[in-house]
Amino acid sequence: MKIIVAIKQVPERDARIRIDSGNKWIDLEDVEFSMNESDAYALEEALQLKEAHGGEVIVVSAGPERAGKTIREALAKGADRAIHLQSSDETELAAYDALGVARLLAASIQDEKADLVLTGLQSDDLGLGQTGVILAELLGLPHASLILKIEVAGNGLKVLRELEDGWFQHIELATPAVLTIQSGNTKLRYATLMGIKKAKTKEVRVIAVADLVASDPSLKPTAPSVVLDQVKLPHKQRSTQLLGGSPAEAAAALVEKLQFEVRVI
Amino acid sequence: MYVSTFLSLPSYGAFLVSPIVPADPGTFSIIEKVLLAVLIMLSVVLFWLRFGVVLDKILKSRRDPSFRLTHLGKRAWDFFSEVICQSKVIRQRPLPGLAHAFVFWAFLAFALVTTNHVATGFGLDLLGSRNRSGWVSIAFSDVYFGLAGLFAVACAISIAGLFVRRFFARPTWLARPDHELSYESGVIAGLIFALMATYLASLYVGSGPWAHGLWWAHTLCLLVFLPLVPHTKHLHLVLSPFTIFFSRGSFSAIPPLEGDEDFGLVAGKDLTQLVTLQAYSCVECGRCTEHCPANNTGKILNPKEVVLGLRSYLNDLGPASEEPLLGKYNSQEAVFECTTCGACEFQCPVGIEHLPIIVGLRRGATNTGAWEDDYGGKLFNALERNSNALGMSALERDKFVQKQELPIFDGSQEYCLWLGCMGGYDPRGREIISSFVEVMRHLGATFGVLRKEKCTGDPARRLGNDLVFQQLAEANLEALQQQKVKKIVSICPHCVRTIQEDWKEFGLPPEVEHHSEFLARHRAELPQSNSNEKVVFHDPCYLGRYRNVYDEPRSIASLAGSLVEAERSRERSFCCGAGGGLAFLGEEQGERVSHNRAQQLVATGATTIGAACPFCNTMFRDALAASGDNSPRLLDIAQIAANQIKAAQPAQVAASEN
Amino acid sequence: MSSVLVFLEIKNREISRISWEAMAAGHQLAASLGVPVDLAVVANRDNPLLQTIHGKVPRTVYAIDDPLLHDYTADGYTTACAQLIEHAKPTYVVFPHTYQVRDFAPRLATRFQQTLISDVTGIEAGPAFTRQLLQGKLNASYHHSGSEVCFLSIQAGAFRADAAEAGSTAVEPFLPKLDATQIRTKPGEPFRASAQTVDLTSAPILVSVGRGIKEEANLPLVQELATALSAELAASRPICDAGWLPMERQVGSSGQTVAPKLYLAIGISGAIQHLVGMKGSQCVVAINKDENAPIFEVADYGIVGDLFEVVPALTTAVRKVKS
Repeated sequence: MKIIVAIKQVPERDARIRIDSGNKWIDLEDVEFSMNESDAYALEEALQLKEAHGGEVIVVSAGPERAGKTIREALAKGADRAIHLQSSDETELAAYDALGVARLLAASIQDEKADLVLTGLQSDDLGLGQTGVILAELLGLPHASLILKIEVAGNGLKVLRELEDGWFQHIELATPAVLTIQSGNTKLRYATLMGIKKAKTKEVRVIAVADLVASDPSLKPTAPSVVLDQVKLPHKQRSTQLLGGSPAEAAAALVEKLQFEVRVI
Repeated sequence: MYVSTFLSLPSYGAFLVSPIVPADPGTFSIIEKVLLAVLIMLSVVLFWLRFGVVLDKILKSRRDPSFRLTHLGKRAWDFFSEVICQSKVIRQRPLPGLAHAFVFWAFLAFALVTTNHVATGFGLDLLGSRNRSGWVSIAFSDVYFGLAGLFAVACAISIAGLFVRRFFARPTWLARPDHELSYESGVIAGLIFALMATYLASLYVGSGPWAHGLWWAHTLCLLVFLPLVPHTKHLHLVLSPFTIFFSRGSFSAIPPLEGDEDFGLVAGKDLTQLVTLQAYSCVECGRCTEHCPANNTGKILNPKEVVLGLRSYLNDLGPASEEPLLGKYNSQEAVFECTTCGACEFQCPVGIEHLPIIVGLRRGATNTGAWEDDYGGKLFNALERNSNALGMSALERDKFVQKQELPIFDGSQEYCLWLGCMGGYDPRGREIISSFVEVMRHLGATFGVLRKEKCTGDPARRLGNDLVFQQLAEANLEALQQQKVKKIVSICPHCVRTIQEDWKEFGLPPEVEHHSEFLARHRAELPQSNSNEKVVFHDPCYLGRYRNVYDEPRSIASLAGSLVEAERSRERSFCCGAGGGLAFLGEEQGERVSHNRAQQLVATGATTIGAACPFCNTMFRDALAASGDNSPRLLDIAQIAANQIKAAQPAQVAASEN
Repeated sequence: MSSVLVFLEIKNREISRISWEAMAAGHQLAASLGVPVDLAVVANRDNPLLQTIHGKVPRTVYAIDDPLLHDYTADGYTTACAQLIEHAKPTYVVFPHTYQVRDFAPRLATRFQQTLISDVTGIEAGPAFTRQLLQGKLNASYHHSGSEVCFLSIQAGAFRADAAEAGSTAVEPFLPKLDATQIRTKPGEPFRASAQTVDLTSAPILVSVGRGIKEEANLPLVQELATALSAELAASRPICDAGWLPMERQVGSSGQTVAPKLYLAIGISGAIQHLVGMKGSQCVVAINKDENAPIFEVADYGIVGDLFEVVPALTTAVRKVKS
């Protein structure tokens, strides 16, 4: 089975957030980056499928040069080769909306004719949660999202999909297909020294975004339909609210919070 | 002590009735001489048949690229102390140790006796035991043979005692993997006894057929003994002096990986000459097992069997094999039960360095991905993503730094206060930091913390993950260099050790000390309590055995009252169970090491337990909580010092406690 | 003519609350633009649920009906909704941000060469749409450019569902042209994970108890609260060590790592071993006698008090609200 995994390099989850001078994104100085969490699970699923059924795992990632580190991490964990859709700087891809980026990704993987395309459920930075589903539409493939488990069944796949409130469902679909993977259902392998050393010899095909756009003018970011105007820090920081009064009063106050703010009752 | 005994022995010799020389066995026929020559050749060939194989395995093992034959003075001293004086053998088990030492010293004394003995068979008189003339032969015959006789008596008594211990008292740590008694040890003991007895008898019989017969009896014992040496654990007679001399030179010295194909001890081809030499040196005394916290609490890890497992591997497959080391001969599970407390390596009398072996086997498993462990994977991913072992957000550390108003290190302060994962994230570790900061402020020391700090990589290092360890070490070294940090002080012995020793592989770390060392320097400025409270101090492995710091934390712990010692203390201290990354690996098999140690500390009757490591602290907190409400108070030495300062300023007590 | 089209979702035989919230967002948006609101539900026109639509009165309710839509599939819903949008020509299409919408709405938007603005938490003048970035650490404001249709999905709880207003609504059936071959996935029956074994990791609410409970005999106190909240019972290590609760209920570094919607820590001081096991919880409530207990550092809500008084009071209060 030939599997493509789309991975994204995102700011580390606990990165310090400072807004940059343009008010459009965070200041990336001092920020460290890591592989998007659900993408790491997608990669793990792909590697497990390869181990069980054979085949090839190819990772694709769009981002500036720094994304190369995350790509090498994926190769170190066991991916066979990689495609780096490289932007010239931090801002080139910001001119595209989710559909625009997905078009670029689709163009860069189209010729691979993969049996399966996996993405994480959503990115930890923009959190749009759409790239996989858009890719499916662009590639003309069926898809299923929020997938926890993939089994090969006959000519196709049987996948486990998470629904809300502790419900699940199985979905059967033929390959080629696109799946978006939910975090947490399996244990992630750790990158090893041996893997890193082996990764040095693996192929990373670098495609410059500008070159790709030049080859197909329809990919040009003339007018994204969705435009980010500005970012702001939220007012409220997480802090502990102590609920006082008699036990009964405190309990009543807590139940109200649980009902209307946490919304679990 | 034994040195002076040894040197003063000749004066005893002067009191002996002289001359004491072995009885003249008379002349030997040509047939006897030929027979003797043939037997000697046979014995040497039988010796070599096995010894040659062992030597070949050692020499054909991979070379240790990082080994340097430097520090010759230290090597000579260690050789003198551990081999000649038998210091480690005696220190840990005084009575059997002394018995062993007498056997050894008798062997040394017999070097010349035996040479002379064999020469006699060919009609030579090397030491003038037959024809006493000239000062050399008179000195020998008057003193040396008598002295040898004294050693022979001591040796005979000792070997008999050791025989009784092994075959009748049967201590558990001498047990072999198959739980059978070592009959070869019995045979060897018998031969040594016979060698001594025949020599002593020859001192008392006159020349004649008896003397001739005794000569042959002694010779036959000798010729049977020689080939048995390489075929049994008595190979240590030959190898261990080399093992001790060619040690790596420091405690738990983990060699750097060499080149692109070195992932640690994966297969036979990775075993270095030092490891192979050590594997064949093991004398199976079981001191390592006796002191191993894992083995003592029902884990399958037995450090002796790890070493013997390597030996069996080498015997069966040799040093070029590609067969994994973990599997049939050693268990991966066992190797990952080690807390790296180092008691085994510290105790070993024949110079085996267990930690480089155990960590090496872990490296082989982890660096290649062969070790699959849910908790281990989680730990490594946490170290990679969050740069701390607890997987917490760095923002949590920021919040703590802000709340405590800890100054940021900017080069103007003397010390960089290293928080570590426990100090930065663990609520209890934070309390230790807060107390230590109070004391530093009280003492007027200037300090700052790094804006951003990553785990030193200690758990990754001990669990054999060189990739994560290197990333963390390099990032930290760079940050420290940027801030021009000259001196680090840390509350965590694991951080101290890793920074000072393990980081050296990747750069030059700043000077680093443990807060006990800092506090001990300022002992005079800290108020002493008059209470007669009993305080027991628990030696953290990474402060004691790893750093040789025992008195400094005690001097601070004693601020709170009078010190009592646990049954195991100082270099024999028992691990808390957290080291070697085990604090992060989930539930242990069998009894918890921490509970065992906590009971040992509670048994002293102390009302305060002094700790000097945030990991020990957290392990004991759980263990004491489980043991009931009347357990002693558990305080880090920084908290003890801070409490004394508070107590000495009664006016401020009320304010700080509100 | 331009309009706002809101899709409602039927779940467990009723229109879900988040759908009402999305409808409120749609009305707000429509009011600011001065355009009418249409609603769409996948249902038969005679479905009595259509009569329960409350809030401000919409212009039209489209009942999208086809046998191929009985079971949800992304292909079926995408095609049917696309046809309705072609038919109704709205300027804005508003969805509740549910797992189902996340599954097909991006595909639907792509069909119109658009990007869905997902997980919207607020609508400002412009209209500008607010959504969160970096797991809520940043708020971002977006606008839609061009004259094409704009797709939004509304986060749960971001808008308050409107109170019902009197009026009558026209239900208009919409019969899409679907073909079975267009549907490329075969959905199975939804199921719940078997309740045989304790699975703390999937429980939405955990009531976790620590050493503050003092004795095994006091556990029913906490169990009652857990039952009232339909929560799983969890514990810190000392409780499981003592054998008061089985090991599989232990949360912490040597037990389970959990991330429920609500984590109620009762009599737990908050040792690091425990914190690392529950730090991912969306909301943490701590009840502890010691106001300096480290658990309060990570709690969203705290009650400093005797758990033997607070917990029964809380159980009573929860029961009262639920009944």
